[in-house]
Amino acid sequence: MSVSSEFILDVRGIAIAFGGLKAVQDFSLRIPRHGLYGLIGPNGAGKTTCFNLLTGVYQPDSGEVTLDGERLNGRKPHQIAAAGLSRTFQNIRLFGELSVLDNVKLGCHLRGRHAIAGTLLRTAYYTGQERAIESRSMELLEMFGLAARAGEQSKNLPYGDQRRLEIARALATEPKVLLLDEPAAGMNPQEKLELRALIRKVRDQFGLAILLIEHDMGVVMNLCEHITVLNFGQTIATGSPEKVQNDPKVVEAYLGTE
Amino acid sequence: MNRLIDHTRQLSPPRWTVLPRAVWPLLAGVVVALIAYYLVGPNISGFSSKLMLIAGTNIILAVSLTVVNGFTGQFSMGHAGFMAVGGYISATITYYGSIKLLGTAEFAGGALSWTGSGAHAGPFIGKGDLIFVASCIMGGLGSAAAGYIVGLPSLRLRGDYLAIVTLGFGEIVRVLLQGTPDQVQPWKASQAVDTPWYELLIKLGGPKGFNLLPTYTTLFWVYLFVVLTLIVCYRLKTSSSGRAFLSIREDEVAAQAMGVDVTKYKVRAFVIASFFAGLAGGLYAMDIGAINAGDLGFQKSFDFIIMVVLGGMGSISGATLAAIILTLLPEVLRDLPPVWPAGLVLLGIMAVVQAVRKHWHVKSLVGVGIGTIVLEGARQFCLSQGINIADFRLILYALLLIVMMIARPQGLFGIREVWELFGRKKKAVGSGQ
Repeated sequence: MSVSSEFILDVRGIAIAFGGLKAVQDFSLRIPRHGLYGLIGPNGAGKTTCFNLLTGVYQPDSGEVTLDGERLNGRKPHQIAAAGLSRTFQNIRLFGELSVLDNVKLGCHLRGRHAIAGTLLRTAYYTGQERAIESRSMELLEMFGLAARAGEQSKNLPYGDQRRLEIARALATEPKVLLLDEPAAGMNPQEKLELRALIRKVRDQFGLAILLIEHDMGVVMNLCEHITVLNFGQTIATGSPEKVQNDPKVVEAYLGTE
Repeated sequence: MNRLIDHTRQLSPPRWTVLPRAVWPLLAGVVVALIAYYLVGPNISGFSSKLMLIAGTNIILAVSLTVVNGFTGQFSMGHAGFMAVGGYISATITYYGSIKLLGTAEFAGGALSWTGSGAHAGPFIGKGDLIFVASCIMGGLGSAAAGYIVGLPSLRLRGDYLAIVTLGFGEIVRVLLQGTPDQVQPWKASQAVDTPWYELLIKLGGPKGFNLLPTYTTLFWVYLFVVLTLIVCYRLKTSSSGRAFLSIREDEVAAQAMGVDVTKYKVRAFVIASFFAGLAGGLYAMDIGAINAGDLGFQKSFDFIIMVVLGGMGSISGATLAAIILTLLPEVLRDLPPVWPAGLVLLGIMAVVQAVRKHWHVKSLVGVGIGTIVLEGARQFCLSQGINIADFRLILYALLLIVMMIARPQGLFGIREVWELFGRKKKAVGSGQ
């Protein structure tokens, strides 16, 4: 096994600047296997930019990201997904015209083989794989309570269902670490409660680590074991929910000073 | 939860089912082609069967372009360029190959390729047929190779850049082909036999075009390849690769985040589309008996784009239907038959469909009714004034596209297939086996 086997995701001092704007500076984070970590901060603090840096949408100017001993710097987004890092999006990015089932099936794409000859000749391996993808996708949809709507176009789902479908799709890629970007946004209090249980269940059942961005303090403080607070691209506090809540810098970032 | 790979082997179907599944498209193609050649062809006029032939090649071209412009949502404007590459390759192989192997560029095919008058006396499949089919496939492969070379760098670009690159490619191909030396004429075949291969390969006729090719393309060959193209594209659409194509069209960023190698799949779609364009180029050349790069400029590419847009970006059956309609339209416009019977039939079909689905859409019925009356009025006007409307066909196409963009921007069928429209619930695409 790798040296840093205790920590599945190891982020060391990544930074990126867009022109003169230092969007993220010296961001470090180590997530243990099965960890459930949170990333919070006021609007524009650089949380989503952090996710984009981790998933290869942007390349960090400096610093290093290691996933289960593999260095991720310089890799393309699909290679990072293959390494075992999957994500959802703040502004939902489902494949709207495709069915709910096909959205999850596409998540399974990564772990299959898709030779062109097999596809066109419908070989035994290809057909078996399609069936495996189908049954696995249906399992995931059942777990997320979406099985009844499998044939619908995903753009027609209600908002909360769309958020859950994004998580199901991300899980279909068989990730080691799951990044959730504001999973509770737009949900009502009841849905938020259910989401909390669901995220815990996902973590336990799939045995993965989760890092989530969330504005809803009820969700974050209840779920997360460890929280990192960003403001203007800088880490201003890290630690347990209690510790972070009482940190004067955090209070200042959220409420301002007199 | 188990990993995907663990299930794959145990869910694989039994071995014996594999061969039928792989082979039936070819059999279906042969059956349809035989029907087209022996039953349909002889019973319609020579002009009609010629139109049917052109419609066939246009179906291949429109459906293959659907793979790029429809499935992956990229905008290629160089389809005629790929058609030219394939057409010239297969013309070269058929023409000079026949001279080298058979000593003459005369027709040497069997009954399936017979386009002359009267019954065919020779064998069922001649040597010339083999050269011809091989040349079409080589044309497809050559065009696919060109697609790979063009696609690999340019498909990394987004949006309009691909359109510009492919447009440029088509024009480069045209200009290069028009700059080639004169072909070796058939009556100098003996001279060509002694000339080495590599010198013959560039003698493609230049601005005069590559002429006097033996004509092998019949309804049989065209509809064999039409069926194969349709089945290949449908299998692609409903496969895991097809989902990857569609995901790129829907949201490229999300597709990447889910692990789809976006460039690889764009190139894959592009190469497949180029293959069929090249193949159709070969059929086209050996149908007319000549191929001229001047005819295969960007205007020709636009014809195919119009077919894809009209049919619906991503609908195989839509592109097929649009290819047929747009092939027949100029001929129909020339004769100007009455519009109202077609309008009544369309109204009837729509009424029945809406009654079955118990979902009345009065606006569409009224729209078709008014459209019919307007078109009929226009027809009467043209007849009374002696206007040949076929002369205005390019203007009409443009108008048609503008009206489509406003009334139905997703094309006739969007990314659905025709039969998916008649389901009770609106099912999403690509969820077939």
